[in-house]
Amino acid sequence: MEPNSASYVLGSCPTRPEPEETGLESLQFRDEIQRLMTVPPENASSFTALLELPATQAMQLLHSSPHSAGGGGDEHKPYSSSSFTNGNLTFPSNKALIERAAKFSVYAVAADAEISPETSSVPSNSSANLDKVKTEPAETDSNPGSSNKNQTQKLAKRKEREKKGKESAKKSKNQSCEDAEKLPYVHVRARRGQATDSHSLAERARREKINARMKLLQELVPGCSKISGTALVLDEIINHVQSLQRQVELLSMRLAAVNPRIDCNFDSVFATEGGPLIDSNIPSMVSPLMWPENPFTGNRENFQQPWNFDALQQPLWGREEENHTFITPENSLLSYDSSANSASLHSNQLKMEL
Amino acid sequence: MRHPSSLKQEFLKKWILGLQRCGFSSKKSTSIMERKKAIKLSADLAMASTRNGTTCWSRALIANASRDHESKILAEQILGPESQSLKKASSTVPPVICSRRIRSKKILKRSCSSHVRRVRKIALPQKVLSANSVAKRLVQKRTNILKSLVPGGEYMDDISLIEETLDYIAYLRAQVDVMRFVASATEVVNQNSD
Repeated sequence: MEPNSASYVLGSCPTRPEPEETGLESLQFRDEIQRLMTVPPENASSFTALLELPATQAMQLLHSSPHSAGGGGDEHKPYSSSSFTNGNLTFPSNKALIERAAKFSVYAVAADAEISPETSSVPSNSSANLDKVKTEPAETDSNPGSSNKNQTQKLAKRKEREKKGKESAKKSKNQSCEDAEKLPYVHVRARRGQATDSHSLAERARREKINARMKLLQELVPGCSKISGTALVLDEIINHVQSLQRQVELLSMRLAAVNPRIDCNFDSVFATEGGPLIDSNIPSMVSPLMWPENPFTGNRENFQQPWNFDALQQPLWGREEENHTFITPENSLLSYDSSANSASLHSNQLKMEL
Repeated sequence: MRHPSSLKQEFLKKWILGLQRCGFSSKKSTSIMERKKAIKLSADLAMASTRNGTTCWSRALIANASRDHESKILAEQILGPESQSLKKASSTVPPVICSRRIRSKKILKRSCSSHVRRVRKIALPQKVLSANSVAKRLVQKRTNILKSLVPGGEYMDDISLIEETLDYIAYLRAQVDVMRFVASATEVVNQNSD
């Protein structure tokens, strides 16, 4: 039964001998999990894996049942090889990581106490989970030859972690025993000197979730990645959303002004299917519109950016346009009465340009 | 994430369809504001329908549109016959559900806190405490502003608010790009035909 459980837990690695593989992988996973726990919250690099996934997927992964992770076993091999070479704290982006972290945290807590007699004399506060993972330590002992160097690295890290985790080892282990039945949650280990009751742990989990999503937002909104601090990042996000909404208003006003009747021009517009758009077409149209975003900075450097941004969009549309009449439609637009403030700013800047 | 170009194409299709369904060719709506409203509304609804009721802000948009008397008829026209399922999804009144959820969370917290043990906290110096509270207040203020910006945001908790914002920003970007393109295209066509 126990070899079966070990192989179930670690997935199938057909080409390598199994005991060696399971021992190695258990050490790696513990290591990764330990790195996950001990990274301070400001440096949310532990969620780098999550960041490469969209928010909704990340949510699903965090809450998915680990029993479905049995199928993730095939990904172990490439994952283990890449994580082995990385000495730093970033995770390779792997969905199965999250699932395995949820699964292995229970084992990690228990197995850690089991391995420690090798290096230090930490008493093993063993729980009922130990007999499940007895095969893993036995197999690591029977695996002396491969990668002793990595073993010493891991042992050093484990000592460090044990020092930190000693205070709360009991509590988190008890909690992990209770939570063994509710495995869908990612386990968080309490750090040294922090309160370990369920409220602060839940609070911390919530805060880490929020931080992960804020990082995603930071990457989406341009110019936010350099800013540190939640309040300033939120400021930028709010500005961005407001400017996008204003742009939508402006554009719908513009469209309403241009067309006396809504549908009459659409047929003629979309009837002209042709070659690809000319490059200078859209960017020159875009750059006057970008100015309302930065009405007070209003510098010419922003002029260049829209060219690159919108040049990417052209292969999608595949239409041919002429560009010699571009500035004049803007002038004709300005004569329409518009209530938006940014429209008047827009017109001022355009006159400046011309 | 959905591929942005396919998103834009889908949005464009639905938007054009919606505008045509508005029946503008028949009515003589000469006011610019009316037309602008119709365009914006159809764009919003087109985008919301591409999400098929999976996100909160899209449901809130549709719900708001169907609630206003003036835009209700337009909205029904634009959404068209296949809108029945969408309207059902959005008319389950998300605000009530969300406020119910929030209320139940508060009750749970209150019941839990009555049994909590006193944990000895390490006292931070006064400066740090006040700095923390100031930072918290700032963040809270900005979160409230964000809630007012994102449609349907007032009823969500922080975590889902951030997710909705992500989605909403992606949608706004796609909308701006498409509208910009159509505007420039129609202007050029008009210019040529004059």
